[in-house]
Amino acid sequence: MGTDMQVVLDGFLTAIQPGNLFWIALGGFLGTVVGMLPGLGPATAIALLIPITFGMDPTSALILMAAIYYGAMYGGSRSSILLNTPGDGSAIAATFDGYPMAQKGQAGQALAMSAIASLIGGLIAVVGFIVLAKPLANFALKFGPAEYFLLMVFTLSAIVALAKGAMVKGFISMAIGLMISTVGIDLQTGVYRFTMGSPHLSEGIDFLVVIIGIYAVGEVLYNFLTINKPVGEKKSVGKKWITKEQWKRSKWPIIRNGPIGFVIGVLPGAGGAIASMLSYSFEKQISKHPEEFGEGAVEGLAAPESSNNAAAVGAFIPMLAMGIPGSGTTAVILGAIVMLGLKPGPLLFENNPDMVWTFINSMFVGNLFLVILNIALVGLLVKILDTPPRILYPLIMMLAFIGTYTLGYSTVDFIILIIFGFVGLFMKLLKFPVAPLILAVIVGSDMEQNFRMSLISHPDIIGIATASPITIALVIMTIISLGFPFLSAWLMDRKKGKTSEESM
Amino acid sequence: MKKILGVAAMSFALILGACSSDNADGKDADFPKKNIEFVAPATPGGGWDATARAIQKIMKEEKIVDQSMTVVNKPGGSGEVGWQYLSKKDAHSLAIDSSLLLTNNLLGQSDLTYEDFTPIATLTTEWISVAVPNDSPYEDATALMEQLKKDPGSVKIGIAPGLGNNDHLSFVKAAKTFGVDVTKLNFLVYESGGDVMTSLLGGHVDAATMAVSESQEQHIAKKFKIVAITSDERLDEIPDVPTWKEQGVDLVFPHWRGILGPPDMTEDQIKYWNDAIGKMVESDAWKELLENNGWEDFYKDSNETKKFLEEQKGMYTELIEESGLKK
Repeated sequence: MGTDMQVVLDGFLTAIQPGNLFWIALGGFLGTVVGMLPGLGPATAIALLIPITFGMDPTSALILMAAIYYGAMYGGSRSSILLNTPGDGSAIAATFDGYPMAQKGQAGQALAMSAIASLIGGLIAVVGFIVLAKPLANFALKFGPAEYFLLMVFTLSAIVALAKGAMVKGFISMAIGLMISTVGIDLQTGVYRFTMGSPHLSEGIDFLVVIIGIYAVGEVLYNFLTINKPVGEKKSVGKKWITKEQWKRSKWPIIRNGPIGFVIGVLPGAGGAIASMLSYSFEKQISKHPEEFGEGAVEGLAAPESSNNAAAVGAFIPMLAMGIPGSGTTAVILGAIVMLGLKPGPLLFENNPDMVWTFINSMFVGNLFLVILNIALVGLLVKILDTPPRILYPLIMMLAFIGTYTLGYSTVDFIILIIFGFVGLFMKLLKFPVAPLILAVIVGSDMEQNFRMSLISHPDIIGIATASPITIALVIMTIISLGFPFLSAWLMDRKKGKTSEESM
Repeated sequence: MKKILGVAAMSFALILGACSSDNADGKDADFPKKNIEFVAPATPGGGWDATARAIQKIMKEEKIVDQSMTVVNKPGGSGEVGWQYLSKKDAHSLAIDSSLLLTNNLLGQSDLTYEDFTPIATLTTEWISVAVPNDSPYEDATALMEQLKKDPGSVKIGIAPGLGNNDHLSFVKAAKTFGVDVTKLNFLVYESGGDVMTSLLGGHVDAATMAVSESQEQHIAKKFKIVAITSDERLDEIPDVPTWKEQGVDLVFPHWRGILGPPDMTEDQIKYWNDAIGKMVESDAWKELLENNGWEDFYKDSNETKKFLEEQKGMYTELIEESGLKK
């Protein structure tokens, strides 16, 4: 697109003006805080701020709102690591290895690594934004119903495949998630499904309520069962900075997954949850020690963290390049900047280049600020682990209920929250993987609607699979991701048979 | 941790605030005598919420209403949750409404309709557009309709977020005048206007119907073309786009928003709001809001709104029956 470097530089200079620096810092800090609290996501925080932005300079308002958004990406994984309670969909993957790391006494290192991974992922995405915004926006348009449907199938298959050795449990978990996602009004026909006469349920069950229920409430209930057991030795929080070895293991995963997250973030509707889950399963599949994943492998934390932050930056491309919101949060931001008199659309880059570039540079500055903030907070945050359970768990419960209320402003959600708390407890006791369920709830409804829309355009499932080069690639990737665990196990066996002494 | 507690305490206070309400009936002259609750039947961030918060702000800054106003979000069921809530309140509560109030009822999804409330005002309208991709074989709306007349299922039409809404029904009404068998139309229902726009830009649908405010920037940038709008005259922003009327279809279809009060309001109370809202729509801040959002002034006071809703109900009843939505 022939970006004029002068405009980019001017944008940078505007972004580091004291006023804008203040908004970056304020937004980043607020985002980190709301990201940490279960349920209080960036979309809610920004929506509540909209009245305050009335009368603000549109550029500053956009900088502030974006800082909250990617700030929440940093914050979201804090509670994933420390409490096994993700603050948002995109922080779920951080629980897989982040929480085991904290349990092994590496909480400080996990927090530091996640901040560093987020920074690098974010920076890769900002560079990607500057160079590739227009072509990527056009690529995203190629995704029609068939492509989205298969992308979601691929994501689900990658998650189920993670549960190696327990694939059946993974499938059951996913199936339950898909069933939950059918609750609500069916878009294609307008029929109400499983709403039990409650108008609140007509919009479906919010996946964040499911996340808070299963993780936060479920975790508290689980600990309640074991609360009378004598506490082991005091958990060490470990060093506050990563080791050379950890950096060596994470370096490439971080660099690889930044671009992956970025591209997925650009697709409207895909977002951080899909990006981080795909990155996690991708790293596990190509890893030399996949057995360490889930037990506190540092690269299993670094990869999704890099990816979800890159996705948050990527989500701004369709919004700024075409006026199409790429995620729930950018939809709220889009509404807010329209109120401020800005006209987001294909002409925004041409009509307001100074604003667009100031904004992009603010993301660059903001990521630097956030990594400093988050590393400075490590010492404070690890103290959460020292909090006695009888104080910590009631606090988590309270936050869970408040977060839930802010999602739908309805007490119906409290009942759903408690139900899923027990679902989470039983899944934990019976050792069912929860990620397939959660992801199925997140993508299930979109997946179904896209499937049905693609059946209008294509005669049957073969037609959908061969609709475009993208769909063919997605089908192949799905087959590989489901078959890979078996294939690698088989290869490993053969290798073992041949060189039984050398292999580990 | 202190900060977390701070946020927690704040949120808690908000919840308490939202839950408490008493049911004292205000029949005296000194209305309103307590805090006014303004229900946005949607989550923060959407158009309804934005309208409610903008009104709250203008009423306060222009000192039109002495009592403080609080916006309460009651999302769910296409407005149903919020209006159910309003129906049980006293005159110190108001809510944003739109044609969904009528269509929810006609589609059998709600027991409530405008007759169960006190219509307070109609505020704004948007107009609805039909757009096709740049490389579409259909030069104009007439060509599109002729094709639909030949084979109603041959054109994929993108809409959001549900059948029975204005975007859908305005298209049905236009198609009907051309003699198209509207029960056989092929609609792809997307979750939001943004999704519809994406699918049209990517060529995944052959035509789409959406609010002019959503589509006009793309039309100006020549990313796709709008072939018809539901307003009675051409719009200043897109003067090259003909109205349905010009193309021989007698169709003027507003997508309006207004304010609704609870049932059984007294004459004095209605007059109070007529005065207050009448003042508000004259303010510069209100005009700026309309301008920024691409909304058009559509102000009607309580009496006019009541008549308007009656008319609208008649039109929607007929349309929904003929679209094949009512089973």
